[in-house]
Amino acid sequence: MLKVDGLSASYGDYTAVFDARFEVAAGETLALIGANGAGKTSLLHAICGLCSAQGRITLDGADMHGLTAAKRAQLGVALSPEGRRMFASLSVQENLEIGANTGRTGPWTLSSVTKLFPILGEFADRPARLLSGGQQQMVAIGRALMANPKVLLLDEVSLGLAPVVAQEVMQALAKLRTESGIATILVEQDIRRAIAASDRFLCLLEGRVVLQGASKGADLDAIGRAYFGEGTAA
Amino acid sequence: MIVVDVILNGLMLGGLYALFGLGLSLIFGVMKIANIAHGEFAIGGAFLAIAAAIFLGAPLWLAVIGALILSFVIGFGLQLVLVNRVMGDDPVPALLMTFGLSIIIQNLLVELFGADNRSLDIGPLATAGIDLGPVSIGVFPLILFVVAIALFAALHWMLHHTKAGRNIRATSDDPDMVGMMGMERAHIFAIVMGVSAALAALAGIMLAMRGSITPFSGAERLLIAFEVIVIGGLGSIWGSLLGGLALGLVHVIALRLDPSSGPLYGHLLLLAILLLRPEGLAGRKAQR
Ligand SMILES: Nc1ncnc2c1ncn2[C@@H]1O[C@H](COP(=O)(O)OP(=O)(O)OP(=O)(O)O)[C@@H](O)[C@H]1O
Ligand SMILES: [Mg+2]
Repeated sequence: MLKVDGLSASYGDYTAVFDARFEVAAGETLALIGANGAGKTSLLHAICGLCSAQGRITLDGADMHGLTAAKRAQLGVALSPEGRRMFASLSVQENLEIGANTGRTGPWTLSSVTKLFPILGEFADRPARLLSGGQQQMVAIGRALMANPKVLLLDEVSLGLAPVVAQEVMQALAKLRTESGIATILVEQDIRRAIAASDRFLCLLEGRVVLQGASKGADLDAIGRAYFGEGTAA
Repeated sequence: MIVVDVILNGLMLGGLYALFGLGLSLIFGVMKIANIAHGEFAIGGAFLAIAAAIFLGAPLWLAVIGALILSFVIGFGLQLVLVNRVMGDDPVPALLMTFGLSIIIQNLLVELFGADNRSLDIGPLATAGIDLGPVSIGVFPLILFVVAIALFAALHWMLHHTKAGRNIRATSDDPDMVGMMGMERAHIFAIVMGVSAALAALAGIMLAMRGSITPFSGAERLLIAFEVIVIGGLGSIWGSLLGGLALGLVHVIALRLDPSSGPLYGHLLLLAILLLRPEGLAGRKAQR
């Protein structure tokens, strides 16, 4: 579904990601692992068209190079951004509805999202900025789902969620992936949780992919070493 | 009774001032830039109506509607092909771009219309008045006031109850994220500039109906628009109404008490607001 080849991401003169190469199939989840500043967010932004990037990104065979973020969103790329990025003056419901602006249809509607996160139905008319951090995180996820994406990019979505809620969200997302065949890229700080929630993983160190493989039976020690850049894991 | 008369006239003048501020406030609220060409948009819009009415002989209502539509198109187009290119984290390039546009528009107007005073003739409406016992108010200033208030209400309604309005507010909140919602930010900016230009043009047209204008009238209008939005609170739509009314009142009262003062007391009001309440009359302290 999503294929990335020789992708670099940069901000002006500064290059944050070098030559990344990977694929995510429909229904599959890829975990992006790496220390602070490793380039995880930058990699997602490069896929979205939110920072300048070189290399090939194809979605179902269609080249997305040079397309604006809006075009990519319309093609089916959705992001739950780091730091939640609520539209502060919009109500919870408006924040969700604006996600559907891509014009894509599918299983995700206001009612299915509020079924996943009942609290969002309750607070529908509140300004999103008045919600707690965890509740805002639910809005951010819900907003991304409202786009009925083909590729769902989740940047540190469990941050701020209570462990039980995070677990629930992960399970709900896992169910939806297998049902509707969404490809997911998951950024997680917690290596154990990332591995548990994914099919494959990719470890970034200072902008370079230093380790990737299947999550099932992955060697957590090797990932830990790659994470901190100790030794040369391959 | 002079007091009532002065207050009524001040409020009615304030309505026009507020309308000058409204479009500028919208731009500032959404794009976080100041449009230096705002005054020229207003005066240019008025000249479009004058050209249609005087040179083409169109009826007044048609001339006004035509000028408003054309102003929208011009604002939309200038934003799309010029200003959007220089929009970024740094507001200065966009500021300089609009400064350049203001000079070009002004020179274009001088070239086309000369430097003479021009006005839009509204016939007997200009002198019609309503007697309210001891005071009398002009019909035209009253219409002007009502139109200004109605436009504030309409813009508020549009922003809060339509999909386009929601998208505009989202762009104001976080312009970098609206792309992920499938919207082209550049497009939304262009629409906002178009609406702002049309609002400015209407204010300019009303000014030309009330008195007269020259191609050089823009700078003074820009100054008034700036004062209105700073007094009211930057980026706040209703703040602009408050700021306009306050400025109108101060101008009329000051001219009554001190006829040679010109706009001096308006500037002093601005200074007082900046010192005592820099967030403006309706502004919230330290947003975000
Ligand atoms: N807007 C930006 N402008 C310039 N440099 C940036 C920008 N955003 C990120 N960087 C740099 O790019 C590098 C990678 O940042 P990125 O945000 O992708 O890391 P990350 O892996 O997501 O980290 P974290 O776990 O802290 O979220 C960092 O060195 C950072 O300083
Ligand atoms: Mg990050």
